[in-house]
Amino acid sequence: MQNYEEIADYAVSLGLKKGFDFVEAYIELSEGASYSIEQGKPSGLAIFKSSGIRIRLISKGSLLTFSTNKLDKKTIEDAFRFKPFNGNKVYLSKEKVEKADYKVSEKIKIEDSYTNLPKDLEELDNFVKKEGVSFRSLYVSTGRSKTYLINSEGTRIRSSLPGVSGFFSIIVGKGKESRQRTIEFGKTGGYELLKIDELEHKLEKEIKALHNVLEKGKSLSNYELSKIKNVVASPEIVGIAVHESIGHPSEADRVFGREAAQAGLSYLNSSNLGTKIGSEKVNIIDDPTIKNSYGFFLYDDEGVKARPKILVKEGIQNELLLNREYAYLTGKRSNASARSDSYSNEPIIRMSNTYLEKGDANIEELFSEAKNGIYIKSFTEWNIDDTRSFARYQGNEAYLIKNGEPSVPIKNYKLDASTFDFWKAVSLLGNDFELYPGNCGKGEPMQGVPVMMGGPSVLLKFG
Amino acid sequence: MDASEILRIVMNEGFDEAVVTTSSYNSTYLKIANYKLDSIVEKKRERGSLFVTKDKKIAFTSIEKLDIESVRQSINNAKKAISAAKPKEDYYGIAEGPFKYKNTVIFDKRIDEMNTDGAAEFANDIISKVNAENLAGTLHLSSSKYSIATSKGVEASSNGTEARLSLRIFDKGLSIQDTLSSRKLSEIKVEKILSNAELLKYVNTTHRINSGLYDLLYLRSPAGVLLSNVNSMACIGNVETGGFLTGKLGKHVANNGISMYDDGSIETGINSSPFDAEGYPTQRTQIIKAGMLIRYLHNYSTAKKYNTRSTGNAGLVYPSPNTLVVEHKKKQSIDKLIASIDKGILITNTWYTRFSNYLTGDFSTMPRDLAIYIKKGSPEFAVKQINVSSGVGIRISDNMIRMMMNITRVGNDIAQATSWDTLGTYYFVPSVIVENVNVSTA
Repeated sequence: MQNYEEIADYAVSLGLKKGFDFVEAYIELSEGASYSIEQGKPSGLAIFKSSGIRIRLISKGSLLTFSTNKLDKKTIEDAFRFKPFNGNKVYLSKEKVEKADYKVSEKIKIEDSYTNLPKDLEELDNFVKKEGVSFRSLYVSTGRSKTYLINSEGTRIRSSLPGVSGFFSIIVGKGKESRQRTIEFGKTGGYELLKIDELEHKLEKEIKALHNVLEKGKSLSNYELSKIKNVVASPEIVGIAVHESIGHPSEADRVFGREAAQAGLSYLNSSNLGTKIGSEKVNIIDDPTIKNSYGFFLYDDEGVKARPKILVKEGIQNELLLNREYAYLTGKRSNASARSDSYSNEPIIRMSNTYLEKGDANIEELFSEAKNGIYIKSFTEWNIDDTRSFARYQGNEAYLIKNGEPSVPIKNYKLDASTFDFWKAVSLLGNDFELYPGNCGKGEPMQGVPVMMGGPSVLLKFG
Repeated sequence: MDASEILRIVMNEGFDEAVVTTSSYNSTYLKIANYKLDSIVEKKRERGSLFVTKDKKIAFTSIEKLDIESVRQSINNAKKAISAAKPKEDYYGIAEGPFKYKNTVIFDKRIDEMNTDGAAEFANDIISKVNAENLAGTLHLSSSKYSIATSKGVEASSNGTEARLSLRIFDKGLSIQDTLSSRKLSEIKVEKILSNAELLKYVNTTHRINSGLYDLLYLRSPAGVLLSNVNSMACIGNVETGGFLTGKLGKHVANNGISMYDDGSIETGINSSPFDAEGYPTQRTQIIKAGMLIRYLHNYSTAKKYNTRSTGNAGLVYPSPNTLVVEHKKKQSIDKLIASIDKGILITNTWYTRFSNYLTGDFSTMPRDLAIYIKKGSPEFAVKQINVSSGVGIRISDNMIRMMMNITRVGNDIAQATSWDTLGTYYFVPSVIVENVNVSTA
């Protein structure tokens, strides 16, 4: 890594010599492998390696992000031909100068795992095949990203973050009588975190549930669906709701219009910050520091030290997700929310691991308190409008609750709710807790970053 | 090092086949937000890729830099991957060249030579021509040079440029978004987007509507977002793993007037190239003829497996789509299409299209930006969209086959389009009317 660091150091010193107001260089070395099996047939093992530098420059308020994989001085010097343009002026918040060196351990080194991918995925595929699945598509990847960040203020951060991830898509049944389910897996750490037996156990449960819904599931009429007021939502549903209706609208660049033509806007704006969003039981956190989580980091892509952020506190909007630009704009300090998917793209405001804090009730208490309603355990698809005000979660595994007990599976339950109605309906929090991995897309060019989302099971009582 | 040099070194290492590509890519993204040029992102890349096979085992590696050290490292990784991979028993090799290429793509020197100063000036000129309450968008300019060499005699290269302008215009409480894409900078004229923005003037009031069945007039961008799933699902890999065209060969999947093509040969097409990922010449392939699904899309290997011919859609292991083209026997102006609707909605943009089941083709999507309620052929009002104070808006639930069977009229406005929802995918699609669509109010 040392030669690469010299190039980053050179970039920063050159930028200062040329009179730029701010210079930041970020070098990344990535390597990894991926493998997939489609309908029982292997698609080939891919091993990749890449390296590159990103240089961010501010000159009289104009911001340029330059990236290249050609790590020679001549190409780097290209970045510094940049001149200020007529447009937005970017200023950065004052942040502590940080110097840190951190890594996540790997019991099984990523590069030693490449040759395990085919046999491990084949084992999983053979298992899934036996479980009566019509179509299946399995994908696993493993990799490590080593980074070096230095800026003109003296911050210098080194990191080494390995990770494993998987994406499994299954369809049971045929034609109109079929159900589809996609399960994701993701962790920050060595290959030892990919446990095939645990994945087999999870997939077995999911496939059984799909068959159960297909064979025994009933459909409710629109009238019957509209009468349902009490809903027990699982951590998976809570997670997607937290991510889509709290996390995304809390991104300050959305709030202040930078994403208007891409990912969209937010129901939050400069005049309604601090508004009541949910019941006082609702506390929602975004925390990158959770060990081995898929969205893990200790310093963001601007070198700011990470911490948990309380987005919603006792039902009230509390913190936005901020990078240095929007921290300056809002008169605050950055809360380390700047991330990029690679050196190739600009860091923008992103979530990490976003969740609802859990409570004390066990699941039976939630059902008992609901009395009659629906238990929605997983979803097939969802969508939400671009201001994040109204969402639909289409039930995959859902059950009618009758007299305080889950009973018959329901095929066609959809949870449609406005953001404020959903969070105000939170009346009881479970004592269980689960986080689910995902790849969150944002920006143009599109960037997908690893995240997690989740919480406990909750009882929602709609008016 | 160029692709042919690298190939010579690779083929001394005992592989059965190899495909080497090299590319250089320069791009500039200019972000527009809050009516200003917000920031610039500039990228410069030069890299390669290596695909090898041995005894039906397949491996891919990246070539980090086009020098001998990186090439040697890639070869070592490829050997490692081959030794660990399992054979793909239904793999039948790469296309056997050499080939002659009829198709070209446009390379605009003006895009290639534009620096950030020139790009900023171009973007600011665009901004100055828009008169609205607020404006956001992106201007993207890129140029690429790409070469391929294969162990089956292919040696080819192609240079191309791209310009894409996306603008979201906010005015009088409404918004409209449109995107222009071309290989030539001269075709990026903001006036074309502003002419679409004229739709904002059609309506003076905003109301909510009831849930029910409506005829939907999708303008070409949202029409393409939905229909671009067709040539993707026509790729044989997606057929094998379960998609809405699985088992439908020879069956009617669209209205009788509709024909659809997958076309990698359009000179102005952003997704076009003279050759596919194994160097096979790209072509125009009819997928749907008079509503009937007549063909799946193949690369050389899958074509051999199914005893047919490659359609120029490699994808080295599985085929991948090129550009969807939708045609109809009869085309009408947008005004005539609006006049033909008794009870319907004009949709200018969609958002978060999600499939609950790819096998059945069931999906839902949420119109974003301007949607106009049409009654007895006349635009009446803008449909109320969701925001925090109103909490109402509309959601569309449909099925791909049902949708295609109910495309009864199309516009005469076919042009290359894309959307943020499908970035990287371009289509030549006209505006279409789909009858009897289930619309629910949120």
